[in-house]
Amino acid sequence: MIQVEGLSKSFGKVKAVQNVSFSASDGQITGLLGPNGAGKSTTLRMLYTLLKPDHGTARIDGFEVTETPLEVQSHIGVLSDAQGLYPRLTTRENIRYFGRLHGLSGEELERQIDQLLMMLDMQLIADRRTEGFSTGERLKVAIARALVHDPGNVLLDEPTNGLDVKSTRAMRQFIRRLRETGKCILLTSHIMQEVAALCDHIVIISSGIVSAQGSPAELLRKTGKDNLEDAFIEAIGSEEGLQ
Amino acid sequence: MNKIWIVFQKEVVDSIRDYRSWSTGLFWALFGPILMGGMLIMIGSSVRDDIEQPLHLPVQNPENAPNLIRFLEQHDVVIEPVPSDPEAAIKQADLNVVLVIPAEYGENFSSGKTATVQLILDSTRQPARVDIARIQNLLQSYSTHLGTLRLVVRGVSPELIWAVDVEEVDVATPQSQATLLISFLPYFIIFAIFNGAAPIINDTTAGERERQSLEPLLINPVPRRNFVWGKLFAAFPFSLGNLAITLMGFGIVFNVLPVEEYLGVRISLNILTLISIFLICLPIIFFASSIQILVASFARSTKEAGTYLPFIALMPSLPGLALAFFPVKPELWTMLIPTFGQQILINQFMRLEPINLSNAILSSVVALSSSVAIIFIAVKLYEREQIVIRKS
Repeated sequence: MIQVEGLSKSFGKVKAVQNVSFSASDGQITGLLGPNGAGKSTTLRMLYTLLKPDHGTARIDGFEVTETPLEVQSHIGVLSDAQGLYPRLTTRENIRYFGRLHGLSGEELERQIDQLLMMLDMQLIADRRTEGFSTGERLKVAIARALVHDPGNVLLDEPTNGLDVKSTRAMRQFIRRLRETGKCILLTSHIMQEVAALCDHIVIISSGIVSAQGSPAELLRKTGKDNLEDAFIEAIGSEEGLQ
Repeated sequence: MNKIWIVFQKEVVDSIRDYRSWSTGLFWALFGPILMGGMLIMIGSSVRDDIEQPLHLPVQNPENAPNLIRFLEQHDVVIEPVPSDPEAAIKQADLNVVLVIPAEYGENFSSGKTATVQLILDSTRQPARVDIARIQNLLQSYSTHLGTLRLVVRGVSPELIWAVDVEEVDVATPQSQATLLISFLPYFIIFAIFNGAAPIINDTTAGERERQSLEPLLINPVPRRNFVWGKLFAAFPFSLGNLAITLMGFGIVFNVLPVEEYLGVRISLNILTLISIFLICLPIIFFASSIQILVASFARSTKEAGTYLPFIALMPSLPGLALAFFPVKPELWTMLIPTFGQQILINQFMRLEPINLSNAILSSVVALSSSVAIIFIAVKLYEREQIVIRKS
């Protein structure tokens, strides 16, 4: 469960995020939709505690991000924009490192790793060093290590960025399966179709401001359009970022 | 504490697999002993060659002074004919020195006057200096020998002509005679410590940022100071290894090579000295790693860090170089400068001088506490959000 109230963040004179409020519920996929540079990643970074908000609060399962950052971090799994792996460690070792940092160890950790390897269909690359992995393979490792502690909330920054059609489908499938387990999923995207295909709740963000939010049906009703693409353009006030 | 251990383990495994990084570091551990061993062998062989081989001396008109020639031959000098233009041969460095005996030598000698001989030489030519000194000494001792005999024959005590006798009392122990050479040793030891840690730290800090793995790492529920400490400790085994290897290297060089024969002095870098140096250098391992972590954390890429770190490694070695030319007494203030105090103490250990225990403790405490202060700054740096925002 993620609750965001009046979140603002500036870098110098640039107001990256202004007074953003929304909430994301368990068992739902919530999408932050907006053109490049709209403030989606900055919002996410404040949620996963790497940036401190200038104003406003954000709670994850009731824990405030600036007051109890370590609690917040153990309740979230994050696929950030930066997805660097350790090329000299194997897939398993990469995942295990993050698992241990989350306080897991022994049998429990190994069982969890095996389960993730199976879920993401990566047993074949489990014991290979990650050096030279394809984009899709690297992404899988990054997701597995983000979920190794079985977090209740999953934050995904542009999860299908750079993937081919087949991998994109697999990734969407995987995100839906996460929803089935009752997790609260928050993802960002600049691709309208992606958000439309996946999300139960859509937050449209533009120039750091939330311009509209609601379920796909609600957005259509609010904007008075008959398809999401038009609703999106209506909400952000331009065709910028449309794909 | 547990999390520091986890970070440490991962970074050590990761670094060991980074064969190129640690082998570069290892090279610098071997660099000092190999360079010094090479220098010793070169010095030794040139000195030995000059002294042990007979001196080949071209002599003009040797028939004018048969007694002098016999004296020289008894003292391992091989008399050779002189080329047509001896001065040109000296100038062209074909010959080191030529002895010329004038025609009037025999006449002057027999009548008791001072008989003159000439040495043709080039005093600026370094390689000729051993030969020149040898023949000068031989001629001087021949002259003194004959003069003494003449006085004795006339019933005069030879002591009369020695109004003042100069006796040299050399207080240098064999070790300190080779000081100039040895004072480069602390330089190489400190250098090896810094360079053992440098490639590892570069990879775990600047490399982490360059690979874009820093942001995911920092999202883990671990206080950032634990990452800094874990990465710091991960560099220790490598700089510790470098320290041990470089000391073993110097131990082998100074104990296996016949240094005494080469330099004419006795140098003992025995096990006890090596262990003392090892112990006094332990705080430097902490200091070297922490200052390099701080600097590398500012760098955006391994390439950028790679340009800073060698300077860091050179800076503490500068006092060591100065030490080679301007020996400093182990005064209190020198112990307050991390790495400088240690270099002075290393020098003392090698010269088998008594060590002031309070100096050893003070230099260690200063090095350790300044390291903790530096790490404190590094942790503050890691706690700022700029650590993630700044990208290459």
